[in-house]
Amino acid sequence: MSNSEQVSSPLLRVQELRTWFHTFGGLVKAVDGVSFDLAPGEIMGLVGESGGGKSMIGFSIMGLIDPPGRIEGGRIEFDGRNLVSLSEDEMRGIRGKEIAMIFQDPMTALNPLYTIGNQIEETLALHTALSARERRAKAIEMLHRVGIPQPEQRLNHYPHQFSGGMRQRVVIAIAMIAKPRLLIADEPTTALDVTIQAQLLRLMRQQVVESGTSMILITHDLAAVSQMADTIVVLYCGRIVEKGPAEAIIARPRHPYTRGLIDSIPHETAETDGPKPRLSQIPGNVPDIRRLPPGCAFAPRCRFATEICRTTDPVLAEQPAGRSSHPHAVACHHPLAVSP
Amino acid sequence: MSQPTHDPAKPLLEVRQLEQRFDVSGSFFDRLRFSGGRISAPRRIVHAVNGVSLAVKRGEVLGIVGESGCGKSTLAKTIVKLHEPTGGQILIEGEDITHHDFTRMRPVRKKLQMIFQDPYASLNPRQKVRDIIMEPFLESQSAPVPDLAERALALLAKVGLGVEHLDRYPHQFSGGQRQRIGIARALSVQPDLIIADEPVSALDVSIQAQILNLLMDLKDEFGFSYLFITHDLSVVRYISDRIGVMYLGFMVETGPTRTIFAEPKHPYTQALLAAAPQLGTKLGPASEQVRGEVPSAIDLPRGCPFRQRCPLAFARCADERPELRPVGGGQAVACHLSEPATQPAFAAI
Repeated sequence: MSNSEQVSSPLLRVQELRTWFHTFGGLVKAVDGVSFDLAPGEIMGLVGESGGGKSMIGFSIMGLIDPPGRIEGGRIEFDGRNLVSLSEDEMRGIRGKEIAMIFQDPMTALNPLYTIGNQIEETLALHTALSARERRAKAIEMLHRVGIPQPEQRLNHYPHQFSGGMRQRVVIAIAMIAKPRLLIADEPTTALDVTIQAQLLRLMRQQVVESGTSMILITHDLAAVSQMADTIVVLYCGRIVEKGPAEAIIARPRHPYTRGLIDSIPHETAETDGPKPRLSQIPGNVPDIRRLPPGCAFAPRCRFATEICRTTDPVLAEQPAGRSSHPHAVACHHPLAVSP
Repeated sequence: MSQPTHDPAKPLLEVRQLEQRFDVSGSFFDRLRFSGGRISAPRRIVHAVNGVSLAVKRGEVLGIVGESGCGKSTLAKTIVKLHEPTGGQILIEGEDITHHDFTRMRPVRKKLQMIFQDPYASLNPRQKVRDIIMEPFLESQSAPVPDLAERALALLAKVGLGVEHLDRYPHQFSGGQRQRIGIARALSVQPDLIIADEPVSALDVSIQAQILNLLMDLKDEFGFSYLFITHDLSVVRYISDRIGVMYLGFMVETGPTRTIFAEPKHPYTQALLAAAPQLGTKLGPASEQVRGEVPSAIDLPRGCPFRQRCPLAFARCADERPELRPVGGGQAVACHLSEPATQPAFAAI
């Protein structure tokens, strides 16, 4: 959905978030100065490779950072309240009700000792004044909405009696039952097969669009993100390297890392009988996040890097905006030219 | 390196009607069932691979795609005899290895090597890199080899690692580097065929491209073949000359890569291609023909394995299991809809 007409205040405003882990091996700046806004009803994709810090942003918003991790600075403003300063009790009133989360592995996200009926109703029991009968009716309705056949019987089943795809549907039902205003989905379909993946992405989008929920989709799968998201934020080593409208990021990436990620995906080539063209690749490996190079963290792998990249941190700067309400910003000393 | 003489007409690897079943019944007491006044103890058999036939020519890349549980990894492991096949035949350059025991497999393993999915689990954490990569080679030699260190170094150079890596242990490497070590190990005996089971699935996208490029460069240099197992359609499309699509242990469609992607004939292949996310295209409205999930491999459905999810299924699909039949252009499909209704099967020719 597009938000271009209405200029509404953001539902979520993350400002200069820094989530650091004090490990024996050194200081891990998993999230280091990340800022973004999320409008009501917006679907934002948070992409990057492993170690980029994308999951830690999700955990930070949910208030699920445990020692040795700590939110060292910044604000997470949700509907005007700074979540960072809330107590655990206050957070508990928000978690599950206002902000819900879907995890990657549907087996570990569900408790194997409780029926899924129990687990769906738990959210309602915690956050609403509904009677047991009303809760059960709502749970049945919710299971029906996420496409689980025979919800009345299935309510009494345990997680192991469901397949992976069905379990993830249950997790979505639990997340959506309290009608949260923000849904954070951390690699929700990575563990699942492609045909099931497509079913679930459709289901999630339908759920958030119907209830006007905002969504943060955390994934390494650029193709899945480009299918779902209104805006995309690209992370590298705990920092945002590029953010903007999804179409612009995919069609006209300005950061060499984003460009590299997109080009690494084997895509349709002219399938000739001759030798196949090599894929374009990003050389080297993701650096050790405890020993980041000075300047731009991507510089050692970047073919456009110059002296300034190795000495000075690039600033996330807005590029001349298009029509969209979401400006395209990039943290690079030498942003790629926009091809006509 | 000297190329061994070989008959170019003979496929490097031929698999005929391969069948792999696993008995998962457990003990007699686990199996006991009481129903209708009778006690019975039925066995539970997983039908992992059901009559799969394929051939890989020299220098060819055959990609096998399918979703989890379709039997593609079991197929790979059965071909290298990590499982004993329960039926069918496996031929390497015409030599039937189906019933070879461990000792008789030894010379065959010089021709046949495997690269595994998980670069963390497939390297021995207590071995140094030099020992890991030279092990298959040493196994294949009867006399001591004098220039072992040079050979190890040359191998590492081929996969983009250097002398400084020789004496390190696997935990000192990243996922992509470990996969390079696994590839060097497979290369050490200069095999004719490498069976790669999801070799890039565990890696980040940028590293995936590095490894895929490496695999293709090595193939161009040494001229070996790949049997490439993956669930990732974009990867299989990039790397394969021909593709086989598996579903529930059956091969449902085979053909040249271009044909399969341009004109998929089996309803399952069509659904699989339609479901794959495309970069930059918005998720369309549900082309919701294929519903539900893969049935259990313990109770195979009667007739066509795909019929319960197939939008086009009709009465015959429930009664008769479709055979994989050629439909022209090197393509073969196991679907009643692709059979010429009047003529008998092509296979009779």
